[in-house]
Amino acid sequence: MRFNCPCCGERGAEEFVYHGDAAATRPDANSPTAMADFIAYTYERTNAAGVHRELWYHAAGCHLWLVVARNVMNHQIISVARARDVALAQTAQATCGAQSNGGT
Amino acid sequence: MADQALAAQSAFSELKPVQSAALSIEVRDGLTIASIAAGKGKAADVRAVMQKAFGIDLPDRPLRVEGGGISVIWHGPDQWLAIAPRGAGDRDLESELAALLDGIAAVTDQSDGRAVVRLSGSCVRDVLAKGVPVDLHASAFASNGVAITHASHIGIVLWQIDETPTFEIALFRSFADSFAHWLAHASVEFTAG
Repeated sequence: MRFNCPCCGERGAEEFVYHGDAAATRPDANSPTAMADFIAYTYERTNAAGVHRELWYHAAGCHLWLVVARNVMNHQIISVARARDVALAQTAQATCGAQSNGGT
Repeated sequence: MADQALAAQSAFSELKPVQSAALSIEVRDGLTIASIAAGKGKAADVRAVMQKAFGIDLPDRPLRVEGGGISVIWHGPDQWLAIAPRGAGDRDLESELAALLDGIAAVTDQSDGRAVVRLSGSCVRDVLAKGVPVDLHASAFASNGVAITHASHIGIVLWQIDETPTFEIALFRSFADSFAHWLAHASVEFTAG
């Protein structure tokens, strides 16, 4: 497997460390169902055959956190993005959503 | 108790210097090295200060730049390594840069934390190919190119100086002897006899 790091270019998988599911969203700790939500968030995975969104860390390179879309059936890397950019885009979306909800 | 003077020791206690057209290996001792990490949202300020002080544009991709008596190696997003010879004046880049970049970047001395070695000659790519998993062929990697990667499982920062080709490699000092061990094996076919 080779990842196309946005900083370093194409590098072998041995430079990267897998750090979990990038699709899971951290639940609200104040929700009445928080305990069940966190158990699901921590442990429950469908392990679907096909494309997963995963967090990878470029440990032996530029130390970027990456969101990688990878097909677990054939190890094809579909996309690699900076996790920071992905998080900022999500925050922007959430903010826009809150604004539009609060708008007239 | 008798007074004992402390003297700097080279990190490479086992590395034998090599000098030939095919391959030369030279330990670069006597360097002052400082890492620069821009504060959150401060990268543009850091760039402006470094441009004014040294006349260099800090790279935002894996490149090396030189100017104003220092060379700067890209070291990750918004991070750089600044390197200069200590020289007769015992130059100290950490204090120099910390004063310039006060409040906008973290500047940390790496002089004694990193070991640096210079490899040069027509066979140097063949040597590096035995342990560095990055394409260093002239068509893929040029002068002033930088790669943060590993050599024989040892984390390194590598940069190309010229088209001889000449490369320099910086690594954590405590790995210097392991690295030298690998380098001696990788280069023996070009140095023996």
